[in-house]
Order: sequence, then C-alpha cells, then structure tokens
Amino acid sequence: MTSIKSRKRNITDLFGVVPFLLFCLAFEIIPIILLIRGSLIDKATKAFTLKHYLSLGTPLYINSFWNSIKLSGLTALIGCILGTLIAYAIYRWPSIKVQHALVTLSDVTTNFAGAPLAFAFIVILGMNGVITQILLRYFHIQLYPKLSIYSFSGLVLAYVYFQVPLMILLVIPAFEGLKKEWFESAQSLGASNFQYWWRIGLPLLMPSIIAGLTLLFANAFGAFATAYTLVESQLSLVTLQIGFMIAGEVRHDPGIGMAMSVVSLILMGLSIGLYQLSTRRAKWLVRSSS
Amino acid sequence: MAYLELKNVSKQFGNVIAVHDFNLDIEKGSLVSFLGPSGCGKTTTLRMIAGFEQPDQGMIRLDNADITAVPPNRRDIGMVFQAYALFPNLNVGDNVAFGLEMKKLPKKEVNQRVTEVLEMVRLSHIANRYPHQLSGGQQQRIALARALAVQPRVLLLDEPLSALDAEVRVALRAEIRRIQSQLGITTVYVTHDQEEALSISDKVVVMNNGRIEQVGSPESIYRQPQTRFVATFIGTANQFIGKVHDEHSVECEHIRLQVADIRHFSKGEEVVVLVRPESVQIQFEPTQKPEWNLLEGIIETVTFHGAVTRIGMNVHDQRIVADITYSYATPISLGQRCWLTFRTESCQVMGVEK
Amino acid sequence: MNLNKQTKASSWQYLLIGIFIFYMLLPIVSTYVFSVATRWDRTILPEGYTVSYYIQAFKASYFISSLRNSFILSIATVLVGLVLIVPTVYWVHVRIPYTKPLLDVLMILPFGIPTVVLALALVQVYNFAPLARSPVLLIGAVVIYSMPFMYRPVSNAIQAIDVVTLTEAGQSLGANTFQLLRRVIIPNILTGIWSGSLLVFATVFAEFTLTKLIVGARFKTFPMLLVEYTRINGNTAAAFSVISFTIAWLASLLILWVGSKGQVPYQKAIGAR
Ligand SMILES: Nc1ncnc2c1ncn2[C@@H]1O[C@H](COP(=O)(O)OP(=O)(O)O)[C@@H](O)[C@H]1O
Ligand SMILES: [Mg+2]
Repeated sequence: MTSIKSRKRNITDLFGVVPFLLFCLAFEIIPIILLIRGSLIDKATKAFTLKHYLSLGTPLYINSFWNSIKLSGLTALIGCILGTLIAYAIYRWPSIKVQHALVTLSDVTTNFAGAPLAFAFIVILGMNGVITQILLRYFHIQLYPKLSIYSFSGLVLAYVYFQVPLMILLVIPAFEGLKKEWFESAQSLGASNFQYWWRIGLPLLMPSIIAGLTLLFANAFGAFATAYTLVESQLSLVTLQIGFMIAGEVRHDPGIGMAMSVVSLILMGLSIGLYQLSTRRAKWLVRSSS
Repeated sequence: MAYLELKNVSKQFGNVIAVHDFNLDIEKGSLVSFLGPSGCGKTTTLRMIAGFEQPDQGMIRLDNADITAVPPNRRDIGMVFQAYALFPNLNVGDNVAFGLEMKKLPKKEVNQRVTEVLEMVRLSHIANRYPHQLSGGQQQRIALARALAVQPRVLLLDEPLSALDAEVRVALRAEIRRIQSQLGITTVYVTHDQEEALSISDKVVVMNNGRIEQVGSPESIYRQPQTRFVATFIGTANQFIGKVHDEHSVECEHIRLQVADIRHFSKGEEVVVLVRPESVQIQFEPTQKPEWNLLEGIIETVTFHGAVTRIGMNVHDQRIVADITYSYATPISLGQRCWLTFRTESCQVMGVEK
Repeated sequence: MNLNKQTKASSWQYLLIGIFIFYMLLPIVSTYVFSVATRWDRTILPEGYTVSYYIQAFKASYFISSLRNSFILSIATVLVGLVLIVPTVYWVHVRIPYTKPLLDVLMILPFGIPTVVLALALVQVYNFAPLARSPVLLIGAVVIYSMPFMYRPVSNAIQAIDVVTLTEAGQSLGANTFQLLRRVIIPNILTGIWSGSLLVFATVFAEFTLTKLIVGARFKTFPMLLVEYTRINGNTAAAFSVISFTIAWLASLLILWVGSKGQVPYQKAIGAR
C-alpha cells in the first residue's frame, strides 16, 4: 500500500476543500474585492475614479483616521509596555499556582470587551459613577469635564483594559521560552542581571513584543462595540464612521465608506503582516535554541 | 596542594537530600570527573561550585579563598551545559566575545582572543554563523570556546556530550582533553558514562545517592573498587557472598574460595568476593593450578561482543560471566559442562554492608 | 541572586500585580454590585441591596426573544463552523498538506478585516431579497469572523494525533472517508472540537457589531438589548451585563475544563471589541 504522504498530487483531491473555499469566497473574499472595486468606481457614471479617496482629505475623515490611529497606537503602546512588565512579574512569581491564576485572569478579562465593558466603565467612571462620586465627595476631586469616560481619555482607559491582558497572553510564552541556561551562561561569563536582559533577554523577547504591539494596534483599530457604547458620535473614529454609514444614520456617498474601509484594510494588513513577520522571527529564535 | 576545595558541602531540596557531606580537593590543572547514576547529585554539586545553588552547609574554597557567598558572575568559573546554551540571537563570534565584553576589554583584544579560541576548537571558519546553523557537535565546541575565552579559573562541564551521537562524542571528548591539558585549566567534568569518565580523567569521583563512594585514578577505580556499588557500577563483577574462613579463604555456600590476604577481616565476618569477567578463564577438564580457584558450571549463554565473547554459566544456580578471547579451535556449545578458574589475587574482598 | 529561583515575590511584583488585579476586577465587581444596589453614588458601599432590577430585566419586553436570538445565532454558527471546518482541516492534513499555508492565511484573514468593513462589504454585495440584511447573511458573516477560533483548537488537535497513520490504519481495515471521520478521527480530536465550539459560542454570544450593522433591530440579540438599556436604564443594564458575564464565565470555565488536557489557545484572545 502506498503511503498517503508519498502519494502524487491528485487534482481530484482538491475538490475536498471546495465547500469551504466557496463559503470563504461568498462571504469574505468576493465581497471584499467588490468593496475595493466599489471604492474606485463612480456610482453614477460607472467609470474609474479616485474621488472617494480624495474626499477622505476633508477634516471629518482626516480627524477620524487621526483619532483612530492615535487611540490604537497609544493603547497598543501602553498595553505593550504594561503587559510586558506584568508578564515579567508573573514569570518571576515563585508560585506556579499564582502564575496560572494570573494567566487565567488575563485570559478571561481580555475577552471581556464590547458593550459590557463599556457599561462597566460607565458604572465606575461615568458622570454619576462610583469612583467619580467618591473622588468628588471624599477627596474633592472633580473629574468632569477634564476626564470623561465618554471621550478620548475614557476610551483609552477602556481599551487598555483589554489590551494589557492580551499582551500578557502574547508575551508570557516568550518569557517561558527563555532558557535558564542562557541566564546562567551569561552569569558565569560575568554578566550582571541588567547586562543579561540588555544583551540576551530583551533581544530574544523583542520579536514577540513587536508582534504583540502590532496585534494590539490592529485589535484596537478594528474595535467598534466598546467605542459605540461609550462615545457614540461624540468622538469620530474610523470604525464608528463606517458603522454610521451602514446603518444609514448619516447620508453620505457609500463610496466614501468603501474608501475608508480600504484604507483601514491596508493599515490592518500592514500590522497583521508585521505581526506574522515578527512571530516567524520569534519562532526562528526559539528553533535555534533546541 | 588543593586549588578547589569542597568542605562538608550539603544540599537538600524539600526532603530530597541531593548532596550529603561532600568533601573533595581538586588539584590545580587536573581534570576530575563526577561519575554516577542519574539523580545522584552530580549536577547539584557542580551548580554549587558555579554558584547557581547555595549549599545548605559547608564551604567552597577556590585558590585559598572562601567563595561560598560570591555570586556566580564574580567567581570566574566557566560552565558548559548539556544543551549547549549558546545565545541564539548572537552569532558564533559574538557568543564567544560575550564574556570578554562583560569584562570591558578593548575591542582589539576581544577580537584577538575570539580568533584564538575559535582556532583552538578549529572552528574559525564559522565565526559569522548563528547557533541554529551549526551541528550539535559544533555548537558544543563553541560553547566550550565561549567558556574558555574569558580564561576562567575553573571550567565546569555538565554532561557536555550526552546530547551528541556516539561518534561525535568520542571525537569531542578527546578534543576536550587535549585542550584542557594544553591550557592546564582545572576542570570538573560531570558524566554518567563510565567509559567517558575513565578515558579522560586524572581523577574520578564516583557518586551515589548524594555521597562520594570512591575517589581515585581511573585505573584504581576499576581495579580496586572500594565498595560493591563502585564494583558493579563500573564494569561488571561476579559476586560471591560468604563468611571469612581464615586469612586466605572465604567459605561460600557451595565452595571455599582462596583469596589474597584478608587478615583485616575477622573470622566469620560476612563478606562479598568480587571477580571481573575478564579474570575468569574457562577449561574443559578439572585440573587445578596452585593459586587459582576452580568451579564447575554449565554453559548457558554465549554472546559475541567483538573483541571478547561473553560466556554465561550456571554455577550452583548462580550466574557467573566470563569474557574470553574466543577461538574457533575450542568449540563451545550450550549446556556443556565446564570448569571456570581465576587467580586468588583477582578476587576483591569487601564487607557485605558496603 | 538566581533569576529563575525566587522563594518570595519581591515588593515591586506585589505592587504591579496588585494594581493589575485591581484594574481587572474593579469594573466587573462594580457592575455586579451595581446590579443589586439601591443607591450607590453617595457612599463607598451601596446604601442598600435589592433584586428588583433583575425582576425588571426579566420582564423587559425583548428579554426572552433576545436571549433566544443570541442562542440561535451562536448555535447555528457553531454548527455551520463545525461542518465547514472540521472536514476541511482533516482533508487538508491528510490529502493535500501542500495547501496548508493557504488555509493558514485564510484563517488569519478575519483578524485583518475590521468587523465594520466586513459588514459594509456584505451589505453592499447582498443588497437583494431574501438575503439582504437577513439573519442568514448574518450567520455567514459571523461564521467568517469566528472561524479562527474554531480552526486553532481543531488544527492543533489534528496535529497532535498522527492523523495520517490513523487514516491508513482505518483504510486498511476497510473504512471509507465518512466512516473514518465518524469512528476514528472525530473521537480522537473531540477535545479540540469542544474547545473550538465553546470558544465560538462565547464569542458569538457577545457579538454586537455584525448583528447591529447587518440585520439591525429586526433580529435583536442580547448584546443589542444591553446596549439599548445602557441608554435607557442603567440599573436594568447592569442586570443584563451580569447575565451576559455569567454566560461568558460559564463558557470560559467549560473551555478551561475541556482544554485542561490541551493547551490554552492564545489566539482566542482577539474577540468582540
Ligand atoms: N531544583 C531542584 N528542586 C528539587 N529537587 C531537585 C532540584 N535539583 C535537583 N533535585 C533533586 O536532587 C537530586 C540530585 O539531582 P542532580 O544533581 O540533578 O542529579 P544528577 O545530575 O546526578 O543526575 C535528584 O533527586 C533531583 O531530583
Ligand atoms: Mg545532571
């Protein structure tokens, strides 16, 4: 009997994945391709045009992109730094049970997003929120209107909530991939703790940290539900704008929505691509250690 | 005069006693092996010398200074691990240069030193490669070069060859020995492979259950084992249990064995007589030579081992083995009756409780 | 000073982990307390406790129907996902392993497409009856969006067993592909299938964006009801939130329990934002 592995490539075998491919084509690939096409076509004349992209130059859309990038970039950076530090604290924690519990906590809380998260932040930091009121009554600190949960700063707080645990989940395996022999070799060669981290530990973690950063960016950029519940139309973000166009809440040429979508796709594609590259580099480093 | 001294060193993990009351003096420039079964505390002892573990009790002295409390990065002790442990983000040259850079040596000196040690391990041509592009044997030679580059006072190797193929293992151990004697560096070599330990060491420390069983030259470890454990762990030994009969004989169940002088045992004391298989000869007629013991047996197994053939015999329901240089002139068949014979001075006698 | 061996955590660790736990638990705990507090804006602890918001919540006009809709959507998505993905992953591993990189790309793709963009693309293309803005279109979208969560555990499980040898052994005993899947392969990857299904269930149960943008108010799901109430009545919204957490916790616990044999799939972390 010939082994399946060594069997020659058989064209008919390809038919096995046709249902799945058809599904992807129907509900993902073709619609996205048509979306890209639609962003380049004038609806009235059916001719090629760049006017939708040019319309993105108006302040409203520039502002949306700027807000989205600022929000995603800032929360990705905060999440990345805090997440890495906390992951390090977890990695160095002496009890395995506590380590396990903290990873589970991250696992659960990073999934706690969208409307329930937004609402929870309204409960604690809303205009009549628990912390807002306690600060006001007992400490005479007036949060509003300087810091409002319904604004950019509020979104940052809410996004950081799911970004930090996500980062922890992404870098913990990288910390665990650091072999204790590397640290001990470095030490026996005269390196201090800091010298080890600077020369060996951090460079080995770097691909995973960068992968985390890019994934966090994409994660925040594509987020909708949290922002929709918290700020609705008080702050313009790319995803909110696109959402309003679909819901018909604002009257605009759908071509502009498509153009915004394509630009978002490019941004997301870049970050996911970078993520893949960094992950590969991380694997490359780990493979070399065996 | 001892260069590295371990005095009453003990280490416990939870309720596992990993190392118990360990005392050892190591001469400057010598290569000492720790040999013993897995889990007997070799690694733990080595890690205490390196400073990665703190002894619960005892003291470690290097060059007449107490280093027990000195952190590992200030001990000047090089370490080579079983899993190579090269830094994967640095190429070969940078790996080797790492320790020299920690010492803040000038760039020129670093480069010169790197070239030197790479030449010593004969791998100068791969200085720009990354660890994962090397074979296991190459990686371990680089790890050795990296440890040697900083000219440590002591070199520690923890089963450095265990992960390698048999052929590479033999070649590399000769190379380690060559470099060690060339540099005259004091070295502690951990292994569970007796052949490895016997072939490269000046001195072998046989360990069992966290304790030293015997310390001695490879030759004396093999020829004069002091304990039953050493006798059976190193090579193979036939054992006869019996009681001391007089100064020159031991009374076993079915036979009285003539042995060399055992005046230091008291009469009637229970002892074990050990005989190496290569000391046993086989003959087919019951002629006894003076100063030789003679036992009757039945041949049960014949196993070809290349240079020697191992004959397994049943002697009064006890299995005895003999290694003989087999010649086709003497046909041996299973079930055949034979006589085995060995010199009185090949009998090693020791107390049973050892 | 051994980096890998500490007998006690240092104070910086306690501080950092303490802040982390506080930040992670505060919103959740507050919501739970808020859902049973009579009044909680003048004092550190609530002035009194009540279950009346839950009674209001259960009586809310869309409560039952939105829960039902969410269950329908989640279960339908799990089923379609299973039927679509399990045989495909098996087939790719056994018959056409050279197409695995393509499958991997298809499975990472949904992460690169913001949900609003997927929604826009779908409503633009399928703007004709009966598909336009229908629950069927929604299920298609949600399957695409939740595909990676099903794929990871299933693919890991298939990789963990020697699926090629198992297949050959089954074939040599005369089983056809369908029998093979049902009797040999699926029982061996059941852990992966359960983890994937529960992940998809939990993810879709909390899904808001696609539902709101593709079908809107005509097919109200539980998260939509919750968002609606955050603007009408905070106390009832809190009760809804607690119900929604509780369902998510249960799913998470089940996932942990099922997956305790396998590895926790970190990829799942990218969920309903
Ligand atoms: N870090 C540790 N924690 C607990 N037990 C250990 C640790 N290191 C070693 N041991 C135990 O100490 C004993 C000696 O181990 P080791 O020194 O590694 O033996 P060897 O290197 O001779 O195989 C073993 O029983 C081992 O299980
Ligand atoms: Mg060991």
